[in-house]
Amino acid sequence: AYVGSRQYRSISAPVTAISALETIAKRNPALNTFASHITPAKIGSSESSDGPLKDWPIAVKANIATTLPSATSCASRALDACTSPFQATIVDSLEGAGAVVVGKTNMDEFGIGSKSMFGIYGAAINPYTPSSDVRRKDMAESDYRTPGGDSGESAAAVAAGMCRAALGSDTGGSVRLPAAWCGVVGSKPTFGRISRHGLVAHGSSLDIIGIITRNVADVQSVFSVAAVPDPLDMTCMSSSLRARIKALADSRSWITQVRGRSETESAPLAGIRVGIPEEYWVNELSVSALESWKAGASRLTALGCDVVSVSLSHTPSALPAYYTLAWAEASSNLARYDGIRYGRRSTTSPDTRDLQNASQKYANTRSENFGAEVQRRILLGTYVMSSAASEHYFTPSQKIRRLIQEEFDRVFALPNALSMTNPLTPPTSRPPGVDVLLFPTATGAAPRLGDQEDSRVANYVNDMMTVPASLAGIPAISIPVGHTDGMPLGLQLAAQYGDDELLFRVARHL
Amino acid sequence: MRVLWSVRASARHYANNTFIANVLLHKRYYKPWGATIGLELHVQLAAAQKLFSAASAKWDDPPNTNVDFIDAGLPGSMPRLNPECVSLAARAILCLNGQVQPRSSFDRKHYFYSDQPLGYQITQQRHPIGRGGFIELSQADGIDYTKRVRIHQLQLEQDTAKSVHGVYPGYILTDLNRAGVALVEIVSEPDMETATEAVYFVRKMQTLLRHTGVSSCNMEDGSLRCDVNVSVYRGDEDRLSGTRCELKNLNSLKTIRGAIEAEVSRQIELISAGHRVKQETRGFDAHSGKTVLARSKETAPDYRYMPEPDLPAVHISKDWVEHIRSSLPELPEATLSRMTRQYGLLPEDVTTMLGEPGCITFFELAAKGRDPKRVAAWITSEIFGQLSYRAQRLNDSTLTVQQFTGLLDALASNAVTSGQAKLLLIEFMDGDKRTADELIQARGWEVMSDLGRLQDLATQLLGKHPKEAAEYKAGHKRRLNFFVAKIMAATKGQARPQDVSRVLKECLDEK
Repeated sequence: AYVGSRQYRSISAPVTAISALETIAKRNPALNTFASHITPAKIGSSESSDGPLKDWPIAVKANIATTLPSATSCASRALDACTSPFQATIVDSLEGAGAVVVGKTNMDEFGIGSKSMFGIYGAAINPYTPSSDVRRKDMAESDYRTPGGDSGESAAAVAAGMCRAALGSDTGGSVRLPAAWCGVVGSKPTFGRISRHGLVAHGSSLDIIGIITRNVADVQSVFSVAAVPDPLDMTCMSSSLRARIKALADSRSWITQVRGRSETESAPLAGIRVGIPEEYWVNELSVSALESWKAGASRLTALGCDVVSVSLSHTPSALPAYYTLAWAEASSNLARYDGIRYGRRSTTSPDTRDLQNASQKYANTRSENFGAEVQRRILLGTYVMSSAASEHYFTPSQKIRRLIQEEFDRVFALPNALSMTNPLTPPTSRPPGVDVLLFPTATGAAPRLGDQEDSRVANYVNDMMTVPASLAGIPAISIPVGHTDGMPLGLQLAAQYGDDELLFRVARHL
Repeated sequence: MRVLWSVRASARHYANNTFIANVLLHKRYYKPWGATIGLELHVQLAAAQKLFSAASAKWDDPPNTNVDFIDAGLPGSMPRLNPECVSLAARAILCLNGQVQPRSSFDRKHYFYSDQPLGYQITQQRHPIGRGGFIELSQADGIDYTKRVRIHQLQLEQDTAKSVHGVYPGYILTDLNRAGVALVEIVSEPDMETATEAVYFVRKMQTLLRHTGVSSCNMEDGSLRCDVNVSVYRGDEDRLSGTRCELKNLNSLKTIRGAIEAEVSRQIELISAGHRVKQETRGFDAHSGKTVLARSKETAPDYRYMPEPDLPAVHISKDWVEHIRSSLPELPEATLSRMTRQYGLLPEDVTTMLGEPGCITFFELAAKGRDPKRVAAWITSEIFGQLSYRAQRLNDSTLTVQQFTGLLDALASNAVTSGQAKLLLIEFMDGDKRTADELIQARGWEVMSDLGRLQDLATQLLGKHPKEAAEYKAGHKRRLNFFVAKIMAATKGQARPQDVSRVLKECLDEK
């Protein structure tokens, strides 16, 4: 896989905890990646446990709960003075396997934004600079490139060598997009593979903890530790469902099993059918993104895949449906931040002597604590759920979501384990349908921080490639492929619900 | 059978104003009105832990000590469904003759208030766990006709935190112990037509839910809360045509009755005067006996219901429902018919015993080989009297079945008088752990059965009081009591009153 521009190509060895902290000390002030991090002394003092991830430095996004003081701030005034009393299940799993959490990364406030510039810690900067800008000495901050959002800093941390793996959260593409723009691998597993306990909810039915690393092998290492059942999260897959999915996936006779076969075989992906969805070929796609898409398809053909064209006709409706649902759920999930039980409470309100003023206190606290973009989305989300608007916005969006999910079910050869109630009977011949889909992660490379363009609608358009997979809960992964002007580009692979293993296998070869 | 709002009931309400009462009773002004009443009950389930968290559901612990992460709405916390609550809800549905739904799911109901930590309540608005069912009221429940009140649905939901006003002026104190405790909301159809039916419905609901262990169902400690919807209609109109008002914060059966009667009268008055009833939420002021406005429809909040994304749907199999059904105790109706048949008891007595958890079992153990009517009489008058005096429940009393049967046997064999037996009962219920025989010996109570001694005493007494003896013989039979009292005092109550009177009469008649 393509690693990055000249300045980072020298980093080929895996990052250790000590070197990660050195890099943080050197680079973080300029890149504004970490909101908080541990000191080297802490690494020496505590013995990390033995396990497959021993001494791996991990960066954790600021909306995943850790017990470090003031660390789980979600880049918001609402929580920056709070310390979580519990750790997210995934953090416990990773630490149990030997990993070291080196710090909490910056983000868009509460996960709301696509450019990592809407949080209280300020904008973060993409470690890559376009070749055309490299020699400029008078670069203003607005000329720097964004790492993407809202797990932009997690991707930047991996790209700059400040950690070996980073945890982010992907609601509508917020792990895959920054991974593409920072030239690293960003994985969004199937919804329910990894426990959400400890992830501060943004859009509960869409949120997934994503894994960002430099290569697919590292993603798989972290995934195998993190993807376990968790009784604390009722939407996390049970062990019986995981077993059923595995049996289903393994019964595909047309895909030769990879175990035992040498990686230097001439056609390691023989038998796998790749679908190119036509609806993703949009006007907004830049020339370079299109070129990398074609290059990816050629590479897969050379690896033995059968590449075909498929149609996902509901794709254009995905973006409006996603935003309606995501903002509605966000307005619901952010309702608890009232400053009453924890968090900052407004001091400018009148006395709370009667209920009228108590409501005012809520309003003052929330207006002070939330940034402008968060307030915007809460208001819109509240509106689409109101009794006047719900049946015109919220309910149709739910229906579109169901249509998109059913459309994926038709396109994929592997049946969806969630819809199957009868015991599976392995198909005798190869069913119609593809095994993975291939399409770009973004319409182009990372824009400048100062790019306003056609106001914020342009920001939203970046999500069109990533949102359908979020709506359907299917696994997707972004791989760095190609570059333009020294800025990285990414390609996405997506597979049927639960088919994470196949996705990793194909991604490894790309 | 339709029951029109009794004119007499209205008249009773206007008892202070006899002019109006007389007018209403006058046939010329008589206009038959009907009332349509529906109830919404919130019942706290008797589960050890909360509905979606592992925190304890005990309500009387020090404030803010039973709070799990999700109860305080901490970022990153998630709800987990407590299976015990689902079992209890299923028990409630089955004992109310409803259908446990094979698939149910949860919704969020949004509003901002200091007693709502998440900013929303997790409830079941669209797909509740229970639908249908009914409670049948009849003679055994105190009305002289049969009335079936249907149930619309039963749903699981979270309780709110407790808000305490008035402790520190200018502050509302919030106790999160109650936040997230499991409730079932039981919604009846508007089948009831009088305050009496409504009150009896609630009472029967309490009996059923206590009996099946679903809830302690007390209005006093808040484990049962009741809201009432009331509308009225003219005799020949459709029952559901009136505008209804909601009555809230009714915290006793008496308040429910008073509120319904006051509201019906208010609505009848309004309409009779040519005004329209506005859809409102009202409370009841016991002092004035009137309902008062709490909130009008215009200010009712928009709850923005949304499916709960953190909880998958609940799937319940028929086998599991049958398993729950088989674990239910015998239901009151069945007990009533069985016990009236088996023991020849009156339905009222069985119903009284059914109202006390554990009493039926107590009775059946005690009645083995004894006269059931006598046992029942002792229970319903003496034991219940003592329980009431001590404000105790039978299950919390120190009285054991062995002590009770020992007492009954001693009484039946004349080893003690009935007065002494009552004293024994008090000792047992005060906490004495000895058996009946031990206690009788310890007190030295043996019935004086030596009639000869009694006769001596009697003769002595008659000699001492010739005047009263003469009065008796002259026809003042009441003078007997004078002598009986004297002998009882002399024997320190150890003689049986029947023996004493008999002996005295013999002596008196002799002379």
